[in-house]
Amino acid sequence: MSETNREVAGAGGRAGGRSSQSVLFDIYIAEVDRLRRIAAGMGLGAADAEDALQDVSVKALRQQRKCKSREEAVGWLTKVTVNRCLMHHRRRKRFSRSAAEIIKRRTENTVEPAGTDDRAIAAEELEIVRQTLSELDDSLLTIMVLRYFCGLNSTEIGQTLELSASAVRSRLREGRMILAKRLMERGIEP
Amino acid sequence: MEKSCEQIEKLLVDYADGELSPSESSGVAKHLSQCERCTVTLKALQRSLELAGIVWADGLEEIRGVAVSQTRTAGRFKWFRYTAVAASILLVTGISILWLTTARPQQAEVTLAEIEKDIEESGRAARLLAAAELLAGCPDTQKFVKSQYCYIVETYPQTPAAAQARLRIR
Repeated sequence: MSETNREVAGAGGRAGGRSSQSVLFDIYIAEVDRLRRIAAGMGLGAADAEDALQDVSVKALRQQRKCKSREEAVGWLTKVTVNRCLMHHRRRKRFSRSAAEIIKRRTENTVEPAGTDDRAIAAEELEIVRQTLSELDDSLLTIMVLRYFCGLNSTEIGQTLELSASAVRSRLREGRMILAKRLMERGIEP
Repeated sequence: MEKSCEQIEKLLVDYADGELSPSESSGVAKHLSQCERCTVTLKALQRSLELAGIVWADGLEEIRGVAVSQTRTAGRFKWFRYTAVAASILLVTGISILWLTTARPQQAEVTLAEIEKDIEESGRAARLLAAAELLAGCPDTQKFVKSQYCYIVETYPQTPAAAQARLRIR
């Protein structure tokens, strides 16, 4: 997000002289992996994520409003993606893959798998966190995803979601403490 | 003045994120060195974020996998509107394959896996074609749409959608 501001009308050189719609669409293509991170963080399955991103791409193509800078365009795309993801996951269960499935996939890709006991503990902890994420309020989950999975700072999140940086920090604290306390209820070694 | 556990707990997330001032941070660190309860909370904060990262990364891997296998472009559109078109193409393909396998036994036998592959490829090609058709109506997309048609022709040359795409390129 902290890239140098550029006039979107001429963003990236390759888009010079083209309409604002196609420039926004170009930025969408350049940023699609970041947008996928949002969808994944919000707990959408692959099909729902692709659906949501298709919606965003169409909106980017049809968007008439000009963005003053690339930063603003990325902020707009982020906001639209968040809204689309919220709409999709309200219709479906989010984070549908169980901890056991996640661990199985990870161990298949790991050269040295953890011992059986370690894996059992990790599975239990992972399931607690997965479950808590799936139950977390949208307003908390969105901010956690943008901060910790997409690497935005509080000010950038605030600008995207139209919140103050202190409100963002407050929600981050709340979300993090909910996750930590659920894990502590199970018991965590000091 | 020494802060209570309750006051420290409010600072722990910011402490873990490195958002505190140096003086606040050293105050929290001093408290942590003497307080097991707050140390456990900090550990739980760090561990839960680490596990959340695993859940998120797993989802991302799945999404990326589907995106890579289904398309190499980003400008795709809702396919369910075109289910009828895709279903028709699939039906024709399916019947053709069935006819080839039953009514023309003198030819090399087609396996079930090959039939499934053909149907799957026809479906994918039909979806891509439908998306390209929609995109063709938008301004400044001719080049992109043409690349979509070329992609369909190159990747799924034996499908009905590829035949349509060839006509569009001409």
